[in-house]
Amino acid sequence: MSTKDEILSRIRKNTGRRYEMPDLSLEAITYEDKVASFSEILKAMGGEAVVLEKGEDVNEVIRHAFPKAKRIGSTLPEITCATFNPDDVDDPRELNGTDLSVVRGSFGVVENGAVWLPRETRYKAVYFISDALVILLDRNQLVNNMNEAYQQLACMEYDYGVFMSGPSKTADIEQALVFGAHGPMRVVVILM
Amino acid sequence: MSTKHAGNAARFIANRDEEKWHDQTLWLVRQKRDKMSHSLPEWERLRDLACAIKLYSNSHLDTLLEEFERNAIANGAVVHWAKDAEEHNRIVLELLRRHSAKNLIKSKSMLTEECEMNAYLMEQGIDVIESDLGERILQLMNLKPSHIVMPAIHIKREAVGKMMEEKMGTEPGNSDPTYLTHAARKNLREKFLHADVAMTGANFAVASTGEIVVCTNEGNADMCTSFPKLHIATFGMEKIVPNRESLGVFTRLLARSGTGQPATSYTSHYRRPEPGSEFHIIIVDNGRSDILADSEHVRTLNCIRCGECMNTCPVYRRSGGYSYTYFIPGPIGINLGMLHDPERYADNVSACSLCLSCSNVCPVKVDLGEQIYRWRQRLDAYGKANPEKKLISAGMKVLMDRPFLFNTALKFAPIVNHAPRFLIYNRLNAWGQERELPQFAKKSFNEMWKQGEVK
Repeated sequence: MSTKDEILSRIRKNTGRRYEMPDLSLEAITYEDKVASFSEILKAMGGEAVVLEKGEDVNEVIRHAFPKAKRIGSTLPEITCATFNPDDVDDPRELNGTDLSVVRGSFGVVENGAVWLPRETRYKAVYFISDALVILLDRNQLVNNMNEAYQQLACMEYDYGVFMSGPSKTADIEQALVFGAHGPMRVVVILM
Repeated sequence: MSTKHAGNAARFIANRDEEKWHDQTLWLVRQKRDKMSHSLPEWERLRDLACAIKLYSNSHLDTLLEEFERNAIANGAVVHWAKDAEEHNRIVLELLRRHSAKNLIKSKSMLTEECEMNAYLMEQGIDVIESDLGERILQLMNLKPSHIVMPAIHIKREAVGKMMEEKMGTEPGNSDPTYLTHAARKNLREKFLHADVAMTGANFAVASTGEIVVCTNEGNADMCTSFPKLHIATFGMEKIVPNRESLGVFTRLLARSGTGQPATSYTSHYRRPEPGSEFHIIIVDNGRSDILADSEHVRTLNCIRCGECMNTCPVYRRSGGYSYTYFIPGPIGINLGMLHDPERYADNVSACSLCLSCSNVCPVKVDLGEQIYRWRQRLDAYGKANPEKKLISAGMKVLMDRPFLFNTALKFAPIVNHAPRFLIYNRLNAWGQERELPQFAKKSFNEMWKQGEVK
């Protein structure tokens, strides 16, 4: 008998009462002004939200937020302030030392300031390796809560995806909050 | 001292300042959780749903695990089954050997702790690197976690600074958490870039899609898996959830309960291997299928390892994780230890005041305190009942069964008020070692009642 069969037969032997799957319908929290609430909650998570005003150039906004960034990676054609395309490198390790990456988010979640980022680049390291990350997000693509978020995901394809809520952080030394444990120290979401 | 827990706790509380800090810091996390739970009107409904989903999934493990396996294989992953820790560790080692790996970088996983995997792999010459900052600090100090979510909560910054000065060459005497964290970031960055194989646990494994979900604040799981050509993910089989809709319930509860945040910074979904890479998933039993047969304790399988029961527990907060003899401390650890080996871990069941705070905050409604109470009723059967307490219980039974004797004893009880201290406060009276006895009333309630003094 294979290990799998052994485990499954023990499960069958030991399972007592079989419970029904509950009805998951739920009246979950909603937000009147999604953009304002998303911005506020993202800030509490350590991130920043910037609403792009009419006529504003996204590249200027990025340069203004990160005046010192020298090595800027992006696969997005409209990001003209990028200095290289991370899809062009042959090894993801070469991305180490990137000051700023600019990526596109698919939708945001108001209740926790998260943005769904399916891997759209050649290497997933793009989302984690740079010192700072800018996420471009359509401001009409905000859902209220994670229940809605997973309904949204039901019709989406991805190999890898992450709900990212603000920068990388840790409190492992005496519960003192520090940003930039391993991933980006700053995360700015530009609501387009 | 009556139990190992009590003995260890006495050592922990000997440093009153650190005990106070530990107690207050964890209580602060509990208060953050309350703030989060009060901000969602549907909080209690979410807890009910989470519990009901777990009762469903843990009573359908046979079908859900097979469904998960089918979907994971269709996604391009390789699925392994391990009946115990030994088989789990052997599978990992074989994969490492096949890839000629010399090192393994991993994110935090209570399952690999349970399997004592690191020690096993290191013996085989594999360099195992923990990448969660707290776990890495402990690994370099040769210590074990004292909390399942905040593993290094018991270590002071000065001790971390001193260790990092030795191991990473940080500035002598600098114990600033920001400085130390960023020094560790730099040091671990090199480890990520030069890792041969990556390993993660899983907070959730989704049957309907065959994907696994890992939650971290540091982003270390994602950094681990960004460079090596092999990702091994391992999970205990109760981590299975039926579908993505269920994830909507659990991801809303996990971080709010555990650390008082609306979400972890990263909720990562691993579905298919990156092009040119391999993705192996290990499904582990290691005693879980036996728990299914124990109807009084089967709900421990609901646990999503948020750590909230530790933060709220007055005994854990004031005695520290090392006071418990099982590797998972606190209310959930007491129960899991007893399920694993009741004779070996019976000492922990006394580490509970039965206040039931844990049961009241558990996001998946594990009846933690009630279960501890039930374990205590079974202690005598394991030959682990405290002989002093047994003697007292037997004495109480004699008294309670004989009203005349009981009333006479009560009448003479106030004599104790005037007895010399050495007669009352001595080694035979464990209760009196840390407390003063109350004064016995001159007149019993019974007497007062009979004399019409009770209105």
